[in-house]
Amino acid sequence: MSVEGTWDLSMSTPIGRIKAVAEFRREDGALIGTARGTGEEVALNDVVLDGNRLTWKQAITKPMRLNLDFVVTIDGDTLAGTSRAGRLPASKVTGERRHEPKTP
Amino acid sequence: MHAQIVLFDGFDPLDAVAPFEVLSAGGTASPGAVTVELVSAEGPRDVVSGTGGLALRATAALDPGRAGLVLVPGAAGRIGDPGDLPDHDAGDGPAQPDDSIPVLLGRTLTTELPVLLKAAMDNPEVTVSAVCGGSLVLAMAGLLEGRHATTHHLGLDMLDATGVHAVRARVVDDGDLVTGAGVTSGLDLGLYLLEREVGPRIAHAVEELFAYERRGTVWRNAGPEPVRF
Repeated sequence: MSVEGTWDLSMSTPIGRIKAVAEFRREDGALIGTARGTGEEVALNDVVLDGNRLTWKQAITKPMRLNLDFVVTIDGDTLAGTSRAGRLPASKVTGERRHEPKTP
Repeated sequence: MHAQIVLFDGFDPLDAVAPFEVLSAGGTASPGAVTVELVSAEGPRDVVSGTGGLALRATAALDPGRAGLVLVPGAAGRIGDPGDLPDHDAGDGPAQPDDSIPVLLGRTLTTELPVLLKAAMDNPEVTVSAVCGGSLVLAMAGLLEGRHATTHHLGLDMLDATGVHAVRARVVDDGDLVTGAGVTSGLDLGLYLLEREVGPRIAHAVEELFAYERRGTVWRNAGPEPVRF
């Protein structure tokens, strides 16, 4: 399952929903990613794709400071799973891959 | 020492009033050594707490440039289930009577508080203090990265998730950051700050007047690390 591309993510946190745009790409075979949220761009850490199961860690500061652990399953152009802030209970995360216009 | 106690919509009255009274009494016992006022990010206004509509009046705007103490109380509201997640965007949505405590605390992030509190944290002349969920107001604004702090026991996991070394103690002294645990720890925090900043005789005189003795050891990151029992 390919994960490369731009994804619109929505995750639930104790203070409300947070939306982010995540971008995954390969550099020298290694999967890396960045996420853009409210006025910040952060690198995604420990991005691992195992079959269609994708995991990564993300430290956000906007709209609030949180360390998040993601575990999602990719199904075509959608993904669904959980994000977990430290020891807090896991909460739902959903995502949709953007269809970028093909460059000629 | 001048103490500014910061009110925000939905604050917990006891978190604010316990240190207010302790510090005020300390000021009476040591003429002129301690002054206390209630402030808000927006300036003088009636601020409605999260308990039964009780309002307190902030008499000035929080001034992070003023030397002394800045104390942030927590919020009072629905505890909710930690797995109970609000169905609106973070910091968004109108205030609801049943807003959970994390939502009330999170709403402070949309005010001027994060900027003002950062200035207070950056000011070497200011000790920043928090009671209960007040630590989370600071932590969610990203101001306590890598620091040692405590909060209400139900909020410790959340505090930890913001990059703070959360300590399960009643009062945690991390130098220019002194935090208290749940609600009533505001008494202990106030008494400890009096002892640290003014002296043990004044703190003791207030304990005696209030018929209350400070509880627990104030945790500091000092001495040998305890091995597991």
